[in-house]
Amino acid sequence: MGVRDGDREDLELHRRLTTGDRGAFDELYRRYAKAAYGLAYRLTGQQILAQDVVHDAYMALWRAPEAYDPARGAFRTFFLSLVHHRAVDTVRREERLRKRQERASNLEPVADEDVAEGVVDEAWVAIRRREVRQALTTLPPEQRQVLEMAYFDGKTQATIADELQIPIGTVKTRTLAAMRKLRRVLDEEDGV
Amino acid sequence: MIEDHEQIEELLAGYVLRSLSGDDAAEADRLLSDHVPACGRCRDTLADFQALSADLALDTPPLAPPDTLLPRLHRELEPVPRRRRTGQLAAVAASVALVAGLAGTSLTQFVRAGDRQARADDMAAALDLARQPEADLVPVGPATEISVPGYEEFYLYGTGVQAPPPGSVYRVWLVSSTGTTYGGELPCEDGVVFLVVPFDPSAFTDLLVTVEQAGSTPSAPGEVVWSAAA
Repeated sequence: MGVRDGDREDLELHRRLTTGDRGAFDELYRRYAKAAYGLAYRLTGQQILAQDVVHDAYMALWRAPEAYDPARGAFRTFFLSLVHHRAVDTVRREERLRKRQERASNLEPVADEDVAEGVVDEAWVAIRRREVRQALTTLPPEQRQVLEMAYFDGKTQATIADELQIPIGTVKTRTLAAMRKLRRVLDEEDGV
Repeated sequence: MIEDHEQIEELLAGYVLRSLSGDDAAEADRLLSDHVPACGRCRDTLADFQALSADLALDTPPLAPPDTLLPRLHRELEPVPRRRRTGQLAAVAASVALVAGLAGTSLTQFVRAGDRQARADDMAAALDLARQPEADLVPVGPATEISVPGYEEFYLYGTGVQAPPPGSVYRVWLVSSTGTTYGGELPCEDGVVFLVVPFDPSAFTDLLVTVEQAGSTPSAPGEVVWSAAA
């Protein structure tokens, strides 16, 4: 099954979800929980926080499925963005509470990469995953660095500029260049 | 005010990555409400960047969540009898959603930016918390304290609140047997007050909202305008 077939199935699952169909909820959990949890764990660095992020995202989906508007794009775009936003918010809330540093000394071990890779994706998610990873390798290192600091570390552009000791304008320029390049490469994969 | 599309796209890229702050976030807010809806190029760019942002999630290896998560979700899908004031809960939920909408944001589409974005996020978190069956909703003057046992923070939220006198601010204080703890300044914008208070309310006996001179050092509670058991 290709990426677009997966997107079409998601649309039907979402339609069923709006009627309160729990089977559709379970199927969307089966499809996206692993990707969502992997992302949330990478951002938060703690299993309990990652679990809460995924829990909250699924509950938000259940309570307000109409929040996703199919006219605005694929369901996975909506849902994984929702998970990312909640994970970033969680990271920043933790920082605001000044507890991250305390907890850093008690960080749970990062999941073993082999174990993580052993988790099986939906076939079409696996296809997209390979495409995204391949696309990321085409970025110049300095562009990939700012992109990853923003997306996976949840850092603001101002913080990134401080940490890399470069002007914030450079952070913006590199970020935009990275986004454009990735979009171009993935569009080619999609045959756009 | 930015009109150059190169700069606008820089902001849109930062926005979808959730990495804007300060003036950039405010400018993104303005663009999203004033410019983007009427600009086909920017709408397309925003949609492309949002899709790309979601795809980036796939760079992370999939990881199986704990086996307990799905059963936990299933339990919460069950209709749960509300043991608290459902009318008040509905009012809080409705007004949180309304305020988020008035702020030029949409809770349902998760379109937010910068400080306003953070405020809307916090309000969304408050709404989520208020919906939990174990949530405590305690009136504090015209506001409501929203908390859940075991959480190390709570929310104070209210609408239709009269602004403090010119040159003054609302401040939140927590009272315990050992003294008072400053909880933060309670901003009042267009009649809406909202604050995340980073303390477990169960550690305190009372919550006070005071009026104090803006810019003064919060060393002790000023004139109390509202109070409640914490």
